[in-house]
Formats: sequence, C-alpha cells, structure tokens
Amino acid sequence: MSETYLVNKLRDGSVLDHLRAGTALRALGALNLPPERTISVGIYLKSGRLERKDIIKIDSHQLTEEDAAKIALISPHATLSLIRNFKVVNKIELHPPLRFRGLIRCPNHACITRAESVRGSWLVMEREPVSVKCEYCDRTVPSDLFRFG
Amino acid sequence: MVSVSDFAGRDVITVNEFRRDEIVFLLDAAAQFEQVTGTLLAGRVIATLFFEPSTRTRLSFESAVGRLGGSCVGFAEAGVSSQAKGESLADTVRVVEGYSDLLLLRHPLEGAARLAAEVAQIPVVNCGDGAHQHPTQTFVDLYTMQRECGRIDGLHVVFAGDLRYGRAVHSLVSVLTLFNARITLVSPQFLRLPEEQRRTLETLGVEYREMESLEASLPEADVLYMTRVQRERFTDPTEYDKFKDAYTLDMSVLQNARDSLAILHPLPRVQEIAREVDVHPHAAYFRQAHYGVAVRKALMALILGHADKVLA
Repeated sequence: MSETYLVNKLRDGSVLDHLRAGTALRALGALNLPPERTISVGIYLKSGRLERKDIIKIDSHQLTEEDAAKIALISPHATLSLIRNFKVVNKIELHPPLRFRGLIRCPNHACITRAESVRGSWLVMEREPVSVKCEYCDRTVPSDLFRFG
Repeated sequence: MVSVSDFAGRDVITVNEFRRDEIVFLLDAAAQFEQVTGTLLAGRVIATLFFEPSTRTRLSFESAVGRLGGSCVGFAEAGVSSQAKGESLADTVRVVEGYSDLLLLRHPLEGAARLAAEVAQIPVVNCGDGAHQHPTQTFVDLYTMQRECGRIDGLHVVFAGDLRYGRAVHSLVSVLTLFNARITLVSPQFLRLPEEQRRTLETLGVEYREMESLEASLPEADVLYMTRVQRERFTDPTEYDKFKDAYTLDMSVLQNARDSLAILHPLPRVQEIAREVDVHPHAAYFRQAHYGVAVRKALMALILGHADKVLA
C-alpha cells in the first residue's frame, strides 16, 4: 500500500524537500520566518531518492538566499522550490559553499567573534555531514553544534 | 626561492601560514642578526598592545627594537588602555595604527590577532592570542633547537606538562611536522593535546606517541620541551590544584636521558623544573629566552623591509 501525505499543494510559498531524515526541526529553527504562516513538516517520510527524508512546506513566504545557505549546512543536497500560483518558479539543490561569512556563531566562548561586533568567517572542512572551521580561532565545529545567529 | 620581499609588510598571525623554506630563511636571518645593533629601525615606531601580562615576549621585542634604533609605544596591561573604558579592539587598532609602523598584539581572546590584521593597514604580529597561537615563540623555539642541537630535522622532541592549554605547544607541534620530527606527548589525561591537533598529526602521518611517565619518555629524546600548568587557563581552581605538580624535572629524572638532551621551556616556570637543573650544560631555557631578541630583530627588520642591509 502506498503512503500518502495529507498536505495541500501550495499556491505560493517555499518547499524544502529531500532534507536528511531527522533534520527538519533543526532546519525550521534556523529559518527567519514571519509570524502566522502555515507550515507543514513531514519527518521520516519514505523517499525514492533517499531511504527516508524530511520535508517542510511554508505557505505564503519565499525563503531567502540566507535561509537556503543555512539549510545547505544542515542538510546538503536538500532542494528548495519556490512556488508562485501553484507553479514551481525556481528549484535548486543546496550545497554548502567552500567558505562563508556569518550565518552561525562560533561556539568557542574564548573566540574574538564572541566579544567584538564581527561576523564569523568559516571554512568548510567536511561537506557531508558538514563541519566548518572558524577562521579566527581555528575551532572546528560539526554541524550538530551549529548555532544560527 | 625565498627572499626578503616575501616578508615585507607581512602579518604574522599563525605559524601555519609559513612554509618550511620561509621558516628556514627566517632562522638563518636570525643567526645573522644575533650580533647586529645600530640604526636599522631608526625613525620606525613599533606599537606594543599587550592586553595580557607578558615578560619575555614584550621585553625581548622592546629590546630588539631598541638594539636596532627604533622606538616603542603601547601598554603592558589592558587596564591602562581604552579597553577599560569599553573601546573595542578594532577601534583601538584603528587608532594606534596611525601612531606606528608595526603592531605587536597580545590578547586573551583567540583570533584577536586575525581581527586586528583585517582592520589594520600596517602589519600585525600575533604575540599570543588566548590558548590559540604564539607564532614568534615557535620561531624562537625552533631557533633554540637549531642552535642547541645543530639541526631541527629528524629530532625526537618530548613535550611534557600542560599540552591542552599551552599555545606554545600547539604552535610548535604543528610546525615540527614540517621538519620530520618524532614527537612524544607526556601529560595527564586531562591535559592531553587537544583532539583536533592529534587528528591533524594522524592525518599528516606524523609519528607520535602519548604517555604519562616523564622518566619513560626520555631515553631516546633529543629535546625535552617542558611547560607550566597555566593557572590562568583553568576555570575550576580545584582542577588546577590537581595537576599543577604533575611533573617535576630534577637531576634524578634526567638520569634517564642522554647527556646531550636539550631542555627547553617557554618560561615562566613554577616548580616543573627544579633549580638544580639550571646548571645542567644543556639546560637551554634561559638561552632560549635570550635567542628571542635575535629572532625578533630579524623578523621585524624583514617585515619593515630593512633586512637586506644585514643579510648576506
């Protein structure tokens, strides 16, 4: 028997699909979302491409590049689809960059970025799962310790 | 082929930014600068921003500047800087760079020197940023090995004491990988070299071993690098009390070592080297502190573009 999910198609909004199973709630917490939006979250859904996956549908809100960059760090290879008038107007697979600024806070309390108003600067060391290195204090941070700021 | 131009205007933030041939070039330059005094840095002003206490690093830099005819401005503790009034490091750097040609920075927070270098238009030398890096100490340590042992390549170096918080150890261990050194790490479990550094050694295929007995580590060693257990790095004083006397090097411990063992220590020492060891012919730690002047003379002259007047 095939499984079906009782989630309506979006008229306008954003869909994060093929999230690594178990990462949806972390992904949701990392996003900058306006209040009072309808959000559907599927966790541990059966998937053709992945054995299991998570999915997030956000009604009436277009995710930004910054949101997409955060999701790429949590769940590389997830896809982001932007929907307008029931049509997918843009669909991209998310990949972590080689290097980036901001997005996460260094967990090292002795790092200068915790004391000065400076954005973190990060080198991506491992791509799946992602780990990054702070270019100020050289601390390597695995993805489960990311704190999005 | 390394030349003086590779150092001109350069920031010195971590040792990892230096290739092996650049380090060898600097150490050769230091040897040529040992006896040099004069007016090479006349009219140049060096800023010493020391937000944390320092004796050897600050004084050896100031001595080096003085011997080359330059002058210093700055402060030796955060309490007398504008930081005490709430000024950010970035603003302090922006102000002081207008007064000087080179900025020497010590700061308790990791990455402070990197931030200063991003902000400043003049070169910045990291003189210690928290438990992170202390690159000029590493150059001095390497120079000491070269002077005391006649080489660095292939030495068997034993590190003993606080390998967890000791920034001098972190910097030196990573650079010794460029010189095919054999490395032995002696510490209590709690003060082991951080996992990240051990992983790096493994990734690089560096031969190293860990042990807890100082005596057992010594028979095959060429260099013993002793370190102090640093009270200021412990958040829990009871942990410090537990480990502060972990190792004491005395003449009876040295009976396990070769006569030629060179004994280094970045200083200050507390009790980890007994006073009786000071007369050992290869107790090199005071000479090591003195070599700092030659290394820092060479480094500043190179950065400020004046070294070609001395180097053959």
